[in-house]
Amino acid sequence: MQKLKTSFYAAGLMAMLSAGTAQAVDKAELIAMGKAVYLNKSKGNCVSCHQIEDADATQAGNQGPPIVAMKQRFPDKAVLRAQVWDATVNNPLTIMPPLGKHWILSEQEIDAVVEYVYQF
Amino acid sequence: MKKALIIVAALTLAPTFAAAESFEKAYLKARAMYGQGAVFEWQGNQYVATHEEESEANVDATEANAQMMIDKAKAKNKEVAALGFEWKLTGDILKKAEAAKADGDYRKALDLAAQAKYHARIGIQQYHYAQSNWQLSVPE
Amino acid sequence: MKIIKMMTLSLGVVLATQMTQAADSGFTLATVNPEADRTALQNYFKKRFPESEVQDYVNGIYAVDADSRAQWEEIEEFPPYEFAVEEGEELFNTPFANGKGYADCFENGGVGIRQNFPYWSKEEGTVKTLEMEINECREANGEQPLKWGKGEIAKVSAYMAWTSRDQVFDVKIPEGDTAAMAAYLDGKKFFYAKRGQLNLSCANCHVQGTNIRIRADLPSPQLGHVSHFPVFRSKWGDLGTLHRRYSGCHKDSRSKPLKPQTETFRNLEYFQTYMSNGLVVNGPGARK
Repeated sequence: MQKLKTSFYAAGLMAMLSAGTAQAVDKAELIAMGKAVYLNKSKGNCVSCHQIEDADATQAGNQGPPIVAMKQRFPDKAVLRAQVWDATVNNPLTIMPPLGKHWILSEQEIDAVVEYVYQF
Repeated sequence: MKKALIIVAALTLAPTFAAAESFEKAYLKARAMYGQGAVFEWQGNQYVATHEEESEANVDATEANAQMMIDKAKAKNKEVAALGFEWKLTGDILKKAEAAKADGDYRKALDLAAQAKYHARIGIQQYHYAQSNWQLSVPE
Repeated sequence: MKIIKMMTLSLGVVLATQMTQAADSGFTLATVNPEADRTALQNYFKKRFPESEVQDYVNGIYAVDADSRAQWEEIEEFPPYEFAVEEGEELFNTPFANGKGYADCFENGGVGIRQNFPYWSKEEGTVKTLEMEINECREANGEQPLKWGKGEIAKVSAYMAWTSRDQVFDVKIPEGDTAAMAAYLDGKKFFYAKRGQLNLSCANCHVQGTNIRIRADLPSPQLGHVSHFPVFRSKWGDLGTLHRRYSGCHKDSRSKPLKPQTETFRNLEYFQTYMSNGLVVNGPGARK
């Protein structure tokens, strides 16, 4: 455990650094990717349950709350990310799949979809 | 085997565990909020939120290592299948991992096998969680 | 590692208390009460959809959603399963190579008996479904068994349901038969447990999620689920059995789906049909 801990720490710092750079360079790209994740049935398929003010999100379902006022509802973007990653933490019975915990989406795809919905 | 069971127990019971936040809970929270590589503190020590399988796959991209990771993932998937909780895509991911290995793309093979093994491990957790929590949604 | 070991020790205690709590609420073999389950489920839907009559739940989503009902009633005027029933009747009445037929295998010549399935067979120690007995009948008479999901088996089953329309489901769990009760409990547990990569239980869509849109689709209520099978599904473009639908649903949770007529699915059918006791047979049906 001790040995693992130190190697994890170093790897983590490097990952954070590279993630920071990517974010600065490609925010628009990230949002475009997030939109694709939101709409794609074999990716996030968020549109099946959440309405959103995007003309491309047709026939959205309503099992979950609509994507509105995200900045007010989630002042801390990381809290929103955690909700996408595993919604069962707040409600064990939720119909929402744990997109991160069950590795349905990659960590980057989760970052992307969070960026996309955070605009609304 | 023992280790997997321990982690399952921790995760299953985390919500009812009133005392100090469990390691598993702290780990999942960090990973959920900040993604892979997030650094978090637990009981005075610092840790990095990297899945067990991700660090297992973080080895030299050789054929032997790829094969080892694929074998581990297959074994884990057999375990979850025996419990009746195998996930739909895991078999395909394993096939892709084998194809990547055959193409000499050992890095890709390692990463895919890590994902498959992770899916199998979480499926086992899901099974154990269901055993004690399935009744939560029964109308009373 | 040491820390994790310590944690396990204390967590073990928590697990034990959780289990005692559950034992008081009908979730174990000692306490499970199918009649209470059935009443609770009916009450749940009565509360959710006070306008809907319990007897109408045999019509699935159309019992609770007025908008799609009109569309469906139009479809039912010229039912898409009509030819399948006719073909089923013909298949049913065509003798096997040995001169015998389906009518020789079933009570009352196989007419008007759909409501008696599934049932618990004490001798075999398992749940028997209608489709299972259709194939057993064939094999006993030297014929090849049919494929479970669609085609001939669905047509024969559809004809048998057709001759049983308006008969009331009355699935029994033999008193004092622990194995039968265990099968019921297993089906109930399967229905309510979350599974698959998408972490969905049957109940997520068909209890809590009933009549709430998933994209443009409205999930049906679990009450009345089995009454109208086999079903002509527009999505399939043909007739399919209940277990074909089970496999599809199971797959939709991103689980590796079980095959039709496996023990788990038969137990699920046992549980679900018990939930619909008191409702009538109205198969075959038409669905989206």
